[in-house]
Amino acid sequence: MGFAVDVRNLTKRYGEIVALDSVSFGVNQGEVFGFLGPNGAGKTTTIRLLTGQIKPTSGVAMVAGYSVIHESTKAKTHIGVVPEVSNLYDEMDAWSNLIFAAELYRVPKNERDKRTKDLLELFGLYERRMSRVGTFSRGMKRRLTIAAALIHEPDILFLDEPTTGLDVQSSRTIRNLIKELNKNGTTVFLTTHYIEEADQLCQRVAMINQGRIATVGAPEKLKASVEQHQIIEISFSPAENLEHKLADINHVNKVLQVGDKFRLHVERTSQVIPLLVSFAKENDLEIISINTLRPSLEDVFVEITGIAVEAMAREKEQAKRGENLG
Amino acid sequence: MAKEWVNSIVEAFYIAKKDAKVYYFKAPNFTYGLLIPLSLFLAFAMAGQLNPKLIIPGLASLVILFGTTSIEAVAVVLEKQTGTLERLLAAPVSYSALVLGKTLAGFFFGLILAVVILFPLAMLSGIVIASPVLAIVAIIFTSLMFSALGVLVSAYAKWVPEAQMLSNFLRFPMVFLSGTFVYLETLPFQLQVVARFLPLTYSVEALRLSVEGSTLTSLYLIDIAVLAMFTFALMVLAAKILERKSR
Repeated sequence: MGFAVDVRNLTKRYGEIVALDSVSFGVNQGEVFGFLGPNGAGKTTTIRLLTGQIKPTSGVAMVAGYSVIHESTKAKTHIGVVPEVSNLYDEMDAWSNLIFAAELYRVPKNERDKRTKDLLELFGLYERRMSRVGTFSRGMKRRLTIAAALIHEPDILFLDEPTTGLDVQSSRTIRNLIKELNKNGTTVFLTTHYIEEADQLCQRVAMINQGRIATVGAPEKLKASVEQHQIIEISFSPAENLEHKLADINHVNKVLQVGDKFRLHVERTSQVIPLLVSFAKENDLEIISINTLRPSLEDVFVEITGIAVEAMAREKEQAKRGENLG
Repeated sequence: MAKEWVNSIVEAFYIAKKDAKVYYFKAPNFTYGLLIPLSLFLAFAMAGQLNPKLIIPGLASLVILFGTTSIEAVAVVLEKQTGTLERLLAAPVSYSALVLGKTLAGFFFGLILAVVILFPLAMLSGIVIASPVLAIVAIIFTSLMFSALGVLVSAYAKWVPEAQMLSNFLRFPMVFLSGTFVYLETLPFQLQVVARFLPLTYSVEALRLSVEGSTLTSLYLIDIAVLAMFTFALMVLAAKILERKSR
């Protein structure tokens, strides 16, 4: 079985800036493939190239068996695109937005109403079908954007940061929808900076940084690849200004603060735990909890890209807020 | 190939229909489309230039010019600003279908405005339009051509005010150099030559010929042919710019 998406040596330059640098990967038919990376890593550029909105400087990109450079229109009939920012017509109601999407994708006239009704019901928006989209919440707009991308029953769905800026309930609804779609055979290509989301949803992920693919693989395999580092998660009271002190303890390779806890990457946990107990005594600290962990996908990401995930999420949210204010 | 053309035309109509729903009732369309031409008309009227057969074809052309270019400034540039253009570009729609769709949206808007202006004003001022059919044909070609001009300007612009400014840069010289409210022959020879490079000249001339005479003249046919050529060239250029800008 061929790849649903096949990318070879794809490069995109904007003048001197290299947005994508000879990127190669394949997405299997029927899988959920995650594209992880910080802001400006090249995720959205990749989606825009694969969906035929921009042309690459060099390289090959095949989607659904068609070249997105030479057979862009044919490729586009097989894909649905959900951009990072919902791009519906605020002045039109939900029903008209979906009908327009059906018209653009040449859904047969006698099926348009039925598909629109089914999708609005599936996404819980049927009661609001005659409301102007401008009056919808961000979560509702997101769901409607996904519905519009599904109106022509695409083989491959591209989702750019599908849950960014959404509340917990809306994010969960969308994740469940992605799982459901994939169960029904749709190949899903999603970009996200929420590593946990990718871990939950994706059969395979690619990590991209500064326009280059750092690694591609199944989440569990990637975790196993960094398992030579053991992790201790510990929380103290009080917990202020401990990161540097913890990093000075023998056999501790790296320290990350995650909420009120510290994650210590160590060579052997049995060596370090007694040292941590001594450290707590010396500094008059109470150990609230201590656990040993398997590496998460987030640890793999940090290991490979050297980027702190929390900083990445913060940066993304700030960018999002900036866009909304702008 | 023929199927692709039919598909493009159908897609263009869907885009035009959507644009009519979304953009026809935006305030700037009426401000620019009706108020500016009417103000110019009143200025000339107060200066004593009130020959209806001279003024009304010019006014109808101006309404089309300002109406179509104003709606396109909104319909194309707002799509860029709100990200909805991305939706159109991600769909299996060619750039030519997209430009045709946008042009058709402006075309129908200009057509409605011109018919609303030309025929009632003609009746009110007591003139008889010698050939209503030729007048309608001239309005159709004028509206298509200025709508394509609006799409071209808007394909280039990033923001609505930028599109309006660029449009004004083209519109106002045409208003005064195309024989809109004066007979072209009364202008100095050099200005007559300049006027022949401006599409509004052909639109006003064709409309004036259809108001003043009922027979199909070669001059009228030349005017229509020039308007058609301008339309084609502007649309091709708009598609190229839109494609280049989105790369």
